[in-house]
Amino acid sequence: MTPTTIGIIGTATLFILLFMRMPVGFLMAIIGFVGFGYIVSFDASLHLVAKDMFAVFGSYSLTVIPLFVLMGQLAFHSGISSRLFDTAYKLIGHLPGGLAMATIGACAGFAAICGSTNATAATMAAATLPEMKRYNYKPELATGVVAAGGSLGILIPPSVIFIVYGILTEQSIGDLFLAGILPGIILSILFILSIIIWVKLRPELGPRGPKTSFKEKVASVSGVSETLVIFILVMGGLFGGIFTPTEAGAVGAFATLIVALLRRNLSWKGFSDALFETTRISCMIMVIVAGATIFGHFLAISRIPYDIAEWIASFNLPPAIIMCMILGVYFIGGCFIDALALIMLTIPIFYPVVIQFGYDPVWFGVIIVLVTQIGVITPPVGVNVYVVSGVARDVPLNLIFKGVLPMLAAMIIATGILICFPQIALFLPGLL
Amino acid sequence: MISFLRIHNIVARTAEKINWISAAAVAFIMFLTTADVIMRFFGSPFPGTYEIVGLVGALVISFSLPYTSIKKGHIAVEFLVQRLPQTPMRVINMVNAFIAMFLFGVISWQTALYAGSLMESGVVSPTLEMPLYPFVYGIAIGCALLCVVLFMEFLGALLGRETE
Repeated sequence: MTPTTIGIIGTATLFILLFMRMPVGFLMAIIGFVGFGYIVSFDASLHLVAKDMFAVFGSYSLTVIPLFVLMGQLAFHSGISSRLFDTAYKLIGHLPGGLAMATIGACAGFAAICGSTNATAATMAAATLPEMKRYNYKPELATGVVAAGGSLGILIPPSVIFIVYGILTEQSIGDLFLAGILPGIILSILFILSIIIWVKLRPELGPRGPKTSFKEKVASVSGVSETLVIFILVMGGLFGGIFTPTEAGAVGAFATLIVALLRRNLSWKGFSDALFETTRISCMIMVIVAGATIFGHFLAISRIPYDIAEWIASFNLPPAIIMCMILGVYFIGGCFIDALALIMLTIPIFYPVVIQFGYDPVWFGVIIVLVTQIGVITPPVGVNVYVVSGVARDVPLNLIFKGVLPMLAAMIIATGILICFPQIALFLPGLL
Repeated sequence: MISFLRIHNIVARTAEKINWISAAAVAFIMFLTTADVIMRFFGSPFPGTYEIVGLVGALVISFSLPYTSIKKGHIAVEFLVQRLPQTPMRVINMVNAFIAMFLFGVISWQTALYAGSLMESGVVSPTLEMPLYPFVYGIAIGCALLCVVLFMEFLGALLGRETE
């Protein structure tokens, strides 16, 4: 058998076993191990797994992952989410659908200190759903908005997926973070527009909230202060070249810890829960990174990525069509497979193709994050919908999926805009 | 049957205890890195911070492997298998646990050998000249414990016992 044939068999086996509930990281490691052994030798393969494990687990640059995860976990326990929502709600809560719009605003703000889509959805659901219920918002609007708003968590920096993508493709994490900002803002605006239109059509979904005086509005703005300070500290240090990404994560986590302690929101139990959650999430991510590294070595030696790139090139299709096909894979795959796992599974295969066709690697990172986030709120595996339904136990799942639909339209439009105008993502990184 | 549950509980408690090392290591990395950044601002950073952080980072991940697995924390595609009847689901769980056990057995064995060779050749970190082998042994231990957890999962599926 040629290395290419073995590569194809290995990749096919991987995707079959994937649907057999084998954990993604384990699966990539085992296929990589066996495949590499088959092509080279099992002696070499045994050495490879040991070296790769130590290289990944003991890598300084990868410690950025636990630190940004910890920052998000501490933010979850810090009470910052309710203060953000409070500000947004005093500013626009009196408009029709205003609380839903305030939720999006608070999600965008929370996303600036949290790098995970599920954590953002979970945190904001706990902070905003009771309020929206109190003002007679219909559950489909309230839950749909929070589930979709979670996707801002991963688009607006910090972002765990950008970190992992940057490490796998050797792109600057700082550039990726910057590239996510404008698309994140545009998506927030589109979410808010969807809410406006939806509430215009069905005003009973989101009645006006209580009026607040001008004075209260001004006073409420202080609610964003700590978020703003942390964001400027972390991102300023990172973009200004003062911090490495790891240092940015550590300083961000520490600053969030201080805010939580000063506000007396963090108990010892909260702190140890945050640490335990952090180790669990980090372990899950790093096992996938290690698996992807071993699998990547196997793929590289099988020459599959180059063969696929050549094979696709032989069709002489315009690059735009190829990109649409790749995004189609992410769109469909995202409905079934966790976004992070899907990106790490496919990057070794698609990335060389994308680069060969002259697409910008940073833009590609942003667009696949956006496309896979659509999968996070669509059936059958809409993780954020499950997260929100875990908080809103009285709302049936299909009602949440219904509520997500108008938000889905916003995400598809945002994807279209970003495909037509790549400079939206590339403008900020280009400035530095 | 009772003894299976008892052993499972011992394994689960051990995994949770070991996870405390991992949790403490995360907190340590955060405090050390922040202190280093602050001290750098005053012109006297701690030498070798990057080395320590990288190596302690290895402990964070290794010692959280068993507990993460017990908590079913590893991402897998569930939706197809969930729809299967009980028996094929059990068989799949058994096969998965067995393959994973084999994988981490190999990794544990190989990293232990690697650690041994690092110890013999006396490889140290560049700035602080810390020996690397204890951290590699740490990975071997974490993977070995994960193997035990996976073995319990395998047994659980074989005996038809839900462990979670």
